[in-house]
Amino acid sequence: MLKFIVRRVFWTIPVLLVVIFLTFIMMRQIGGNPFRQSERAVPEAVQRNLEAKFHVNDPWYQQYAYYVKGVFTFDLGPSLVVRGRDVNDIVKTHFPKSIELGVYAFLFALVLGVPLGMIAALRHNTWVDYSAMFVSNVFHAVPSFLVATLLIYFVALKAGWVPTSGWTSWEHKILPSIALGFGPMALFARLVRGTMLETLQQDYVRTARAKGLRYRRVVGLHVLRNSLIPVVTAAGPLLGFIITGSFVIELIFNIPGIGQNYVDSISNRDYSVVMGLTVLLSVIVILANLVVDILYGILDPRTRDARS
Amino acid sequence: MSVTGAREEALASGPGAAPASGAPIRQSNLWKDAWGRYVRNKAAAIAGAVFVVVLLYCLIAPFASPHDPDAVNFALASQTPSLEHPFGTDKFGRDLFTRTALGGRVSMLIGFGATLAILLVGVIYGAISGFIGGRVDNGLMRFLDALYGLPYLPFAIITLAIIGRTNTWTMMIALSIASWFTTARIVRGQVLTLKENDYVRAAKAVGARWYRILGRHLLPNTLGVLIIAIFLELPGVILGEAFLSFIGLGISPPDASWGAMAQEGRTVFRSHPTAIIVPSVAIATLVLCANFVADGLRDALDPRTRET
Repeated sequence: MLKFIVRRVFWTIPVLLVVIFLTFIMMRQIGGNPFRQSERAVPEAVQRNLEAKFHVNDPWYQQYAYYVKGVFTFDLGPSLVVRGRDVNDIVKTHFPKSIELGVYAFLFALVLGVPLGMIAALRHNTWVDYSAMFVSNVFHAVPSFLVATLLIYFVALKAGWVPTSGWTSWEHKILPSIALGFGPMALFARLVRGTMLETLQQDYVRTARAKGLRYRRVVGLHVLRNSLIPVVTAAGPLLGFIITGSFVIELIFNIPGIGQNYVDSISNRDYSVVMGLTVLLSVIVILANLVVDILYGILDPRTRDARS
Repeated sequence: MSVTGAREEALASGPGAAPASGAPIRQSNLWKDAWGRYVRNKAAAIAGAVFVVVLLYCLIAPFASPHDPDAVNFALASQTPSLEHPFGTDKFGRDLFTRTALGGRVSMLIGFGATLAILLVGVIYGAISGFIGGRVDNGLMRFLDALYGLPYLPFAIITLAIIGRTNTWTMMIALSIASWFTTARIVRGQVLTLKENDYVRAAKAVGARWYRILGRHLLPNTLGVLIIAIFLELPGVILGEAFLSFIGLGISPPDASWGAMAQEGRTVFRSHPTAIIVPSVAIATLVLCANFVADGLRDALDPRTRET
């Protein structure tokens, strides 16, 4: 087991380097000296100092090395547009809000999606199953901005129960979390239903039933536990889903999170911030994949050899 | 009968036959079987029919409609659905029934274009990886692992920034650039499985060159998987386009896609929610249908994976 973990962790390092490299190369293609005269009028001497400080005139591989060093020491570089502000500041101010939103959405999806999938599986091929699956298919297909808009329209505007936008009190946080959690909820429901149907047919389930265990106990003890393993594996890709969704949800609810900042930075052509945030999001997804893989190895020993 | 079964018999009946006339009778039976299985699946059949209806609506409605999609008339602004305007009008008084069809053309063009690009890259990458095998395969797959689960939206946004222009074609590129990983994996898996089949070994034994094995045996047998992959990828791309346009970084007015229309509708949704609901429901309908069609095709084309 230790060998598996060590190997998996070591694999992550080249992976990180490749992803940072790809982002780095892509950002370079956008091109231009970031310290163009037109955008930031500074004396020539200052311009030269700036270029020296940020290694603008060094060859690309040295710049890449500097950047990687920065990333591994948690320094994502300065903002090119806002003076005296670096990417770390932006992450520190705005990222917690995005994480909070993502966690609530994830919890919402988990709390509703898992039972929905369970019920559908236990009532397989009945109208309960069909309607649960139809609902989850619809929720999976509806774009989050429609869910968000309808929630705002009916719950915030018509009923007036919660505010329409912002991210301050807990009342503000209800609607965005639900809107972002809808898609993942549908995903969980379908996933849990699928694996549960599979688990229900396993020999050990039949054995447990044959031994005379109550149905409830079999489901709670044997089936559910083994059905939830794939939910853990889904958490990795789901993170990407939630990141994508947060771009839209943060815009609609006017939440000053990372997604909104990302869009603003693109509009302001603040490319060092764009690069920093892209690298950050990618690193998070990669590390999540790592954790998920290790968890999967612990939970399901059969996968260790195949994946190591 | 499975895809491989038909192929084996095709090979046995005429190993020297020209590719164009390679066992046409057997093949048509295979597709007929698949068709029969598909239409027996009620959900998939209905979804397929609705999909075609939406497609036809987008193609025909602009010609059939008496309303000019670009005619601004503030006297008719923000109307709710009526007989004259089945989907109502937008804030400029333009007929939404006609405009949604036009937006659908753009969305679907981007959707299918990006899907084809994804398939192309995925097939090349997956076929190379699976066909060569060994170290190359290992390396290529590790690279894919590295990219797996990355949020596609930031990379799509950066790609658009690199190209510097946003239109239908650049959107296709942007949406496919970080979305082909799954397809590559599927194709690789399929090629790996097929490679071990007896008829491929037989072809190798009689001295067939690698390009003949690849072109004659491996890729054609991947066709079923690819048709499924089209409908697996399409929803993601359609939603991706919608998200990009919705946050203002995709198709922008006066051109309309469903995402761009939803973005336009968002500005007035408090007084006139129809304008955002109509294009969003169109997106949801198409995505929902594509998901069901993909499920149906999977059952029809590959009976082995059918759920019990």
